[in-house]
Amino acid sequence: MLEQLLMAFINGILLGGVLALLAFGLNLIFGVVKIIHMAYGQFVMLGFYFIYYFYTAWHLPLLVAMAGGIIVMGLLGMLVQLLIINPLLDAPRLNQLLALASLIIVLENLAQVVWGADYRGIPISMPIIQFGDIFIRSSYLLAFLGAIATLGILYLFLHKTYFGLAIRSVAQDVEMARGMGINPKVIYYITLAAGGALTGVVAAFFIPIYTVHPHFGASFTLMAFVIVVFGGMGNLLGGFISAFIIGVVTSITAVLASTEVADILALVMFILMMMVRPQGILGAKA
Amino acid sequence: MKRNSTTSKLIMGGVLLVIAAAPLFAESEYLIHIGTLILLWAFVSTAWAYMARFGLVSLGHGVFLGIGAYIPVLLFNYYGISPWLGMLAGVIAAVIIAAILGYACFRFGLIGDYFALVTLAMAEVVSLAIVACREITGGSLGCTLKASEGWADLQFDDKRYFYYIIFAFLLLALYIWRRIDKSRMRLALTAIEESELAAASMGVSVIRFKMGITLLSAGLTAMGGVLYAQYVTYINPGTISGVGVSLSTCFKAILGGMFNIFGPLAGSAIMVSLEEYFRVSFDTGFLGVSEVIFGIVLLVMIIFLPRGIVGSISKWLNKRFDAARS
Amino acid sequence: MLTVDAIDTFYGEFQALEGISLKVEKGQTVIVVGPNGAGKSTLLKTILGLQKPRKGSIRFQGEEITGAPAHKVVERGISMVPEGGRVFPDLSVQDNLRVGSYNPVARPKAQTQMEQIFDLFPILSDRKKQAAGSLSGGERQMLAIARSLMSCPKLIMLDEPSLGLAPLVVNMVFDFIQKMKAEGYAILLVEQNANKALKVADYAYLVESGKLIYEGDRDSFDQNPYIKTAYLGL
Repeated sequence: MLEQLLMAFINGILLGGVLALLAFGLNLIFGVVKIIHMAYGQFVMLGFYFIYYFYTAWHLPLLVAMAGGIIVMGLLGMLVQLLIINPLLDAPRLNQLLALASLIIVLENLAQVVWGADYRGIPISMPIIQFGDIFIRSSYLLAFLGAIATLGILYLFLHKTYFGLAIRSVAQDVEMARGMGINPKVIYYITLAAGGALTGVVAAFFIPIYTVHPHFGASFTLMAFVIVVFGGMGNLLGGFISAFIIGVVTSITAVLASTEVADILALVMFILMMMVRPQGILGAKA
Repeated sequence: MKRNSTTSKLIMGGVLLVIAAAPLFAESEYLIHIGTLILLWAFVSTAWAYMARFGLVSLGHGVFLGIGAYIPVLLFNYYGISPWLGMLAGVIAAVIIAAILGYACFRFGLIGDYFALVTLAMAEVVSLAIVACREITGGSLGCTLKASEGWADLQFDDKRYFYYIIFAFLLLALYIWRRIDKSRMRLALTAIEESELAAASMGVSVIRFKMGITLLSAGLTAMGGVLYAQYVTYINPGTISGVGVSLSTCFKAILGGMFNIFGPLAGSAIMVSLEEYFRVSFDTGFLGVSEVIFGIVLLVMIIFLPRGIVGSISKWLNKRFDAARS
Repeated sequence: MLTVDAIDTFYGEFQALEGISLKVEKGQTVIVVGPNGAGKSTLLKTILGLQKPRKGSIRFQGEEITGAPAHKVVERGISMVPEGGRVFPDLSVQDNLRVGSYNPVARPKAQTQMEQIFDLFPILSDRKKQAAGSLSGGERQMLAIARSLMSCPKLIMLDEPSLGLAPLVVNMVFDFIQKMKAEGYAILLVEQNANKALKVADYAYLVESGKLIYEGDRDSFDQNPYIKTAYLGL
């Protein structure tokens, strides 16, 4: 039992890395465009399908298929900005939420129409690493390392480039950013493209771990939400830390009870956090 | 203004008369079935809009639908308890849950999209809990109400019974809407929506009024859950609790126009008919095409008709009216 | 250089500006005086393109910029120091300056510009890694002014630069405005502190509730009896 818990802990940390990446995208979009991307998990599902499709139907090498998936998801992110978010920028927050919620209906059923309801996946066998009594799947480890590396690249992008600087300033104060000569629309497109591409990256890391089906994304939307709220909406560092907390808690609960109980626990943590500390674990009191 | 209110009263009476008379002329059981569904969802989304039109946008009414649907069904199936008592139990349970959740939300001052997201999470918790208690509830496969017939068990072979029962509940919901409009509660809630602080400083008990409208809305929504279960006789967590049904309830009200007494009814009529139309015309070939189109239609309507259909029409009519007068 | 001709600006149904016209010539310092809520900030925002005027025209260096988006206007060479030393609090001092040089005209010169600015404001150089939110009010105002220089402007607009600052710091700010004037920048300064502002002004306008009440050079402003009692406290 103890080994099982320890393994759940390690898996929680490793998956927490990927969740951190996912939550980062959701958080970035919220921070910059001030929009809650309700269909973000569904984007991961779509990214998975695209990689699968490029690999099986076009017979592209796996890495090329993954790159293709990432690019397509980036473009789709911009399309969402163009068709849905732009027209609703000044609309009530509720309409924005519901528009993106109806996008969930569209994307899940579109996937079902195109790829069917079956589970799809690319069979990749990756070795299992053993430390004494502990077994670690190298696919999890790879995903973790990749996610951390991607986060590092994103950090550099945000802090070392003009676009990154513009993104950070739009997130803080749009009007003043406009006064500095920044066109926020352009920044929104870049943000949504980056957010979309990130779902492609997450999907690529998930390829050796999961199989995909049309409703694959829902639980990831949920997880990303819980993490983002836990860390404080728009707070990137808070999101990073809370990804590991949530990853470990759900992973251990799933072993002790069931995945439903783990999800319920995550949601209850989300609800309590919203009530007691809406600014998140790191945020200063507003 | 005077003219406007008489016209709207006339339109109101006309619409209700048409609904009342419709089954007398409808040939097929199928049309009556669709009509019943429309009235049912109109009832639920009207109850939802009680809160939403004062800025309390709940995305978690699936909580109350689920409780209302499951409690009488389980009581009847396991213990043979009359659905009338079950109905009472379901509504009371929903009101108690609403009191707890609502108090927690209002006590901590959750408003706007924070309130919306928290209630959304609550809906998912209830849905997951129903799945987790699969020994009793049948889990995600759902459960079927034991068949019966007659007023005692609230099941009828003739669909017209449910049509009129649910219509009666819808009338009740509309009547309550009118009563709210004329009450102190409307003034208080409007003040609260504008500024809780200002309202509180004027001596308005913010939490009490919010709780009042929440309990009313939750109780009626649970009643909708009961009616759904008795009418459809099959329930599962995906269709009557959780995020999906919570969202679709507010989709209906918003599409129709949640600030207008007839908005939820109009929205339900359109959504249910569209859903049926797309289902019938596309689903023989591709599974999912109807939902894709449905989702796109929703998107387009949310983007281009943000005040809802009834809201947009009445705005347009008012404009015409003003133009004609000047 | 800048010609504003009879502009009307609205917030929804509320009219903030009513037929305002003004001119700034090359190298000139022009001030706009008026009480709180007179529409002075709205005027600057309308010139910069943050608000769209409903009527009237704005020309800069002979070219029409009415209703152009702010990023185009900034590129042409207008920059603004927003009210209250509004900086990006979570960005470092250095990053705040870099944002100032975001437009494509200024970007290649960013490095040399920044060095010059650090020479001018040694205090900013000392704190360049610090978050701008941690600066004092006066330092933030300095940063906001420095940042406006980063965009290689020809015209600098300042919105109430003395607001909420200690008298000593106010003097520093106005000394600096003098310095910018000496370097040949055209300046459009909006101020409630008419006494201070008039000392640097070549030409002045008085705006009340969105309307132009009076205009004239420094002397005629100084001598106008209404302005004397209402704004100069004499």
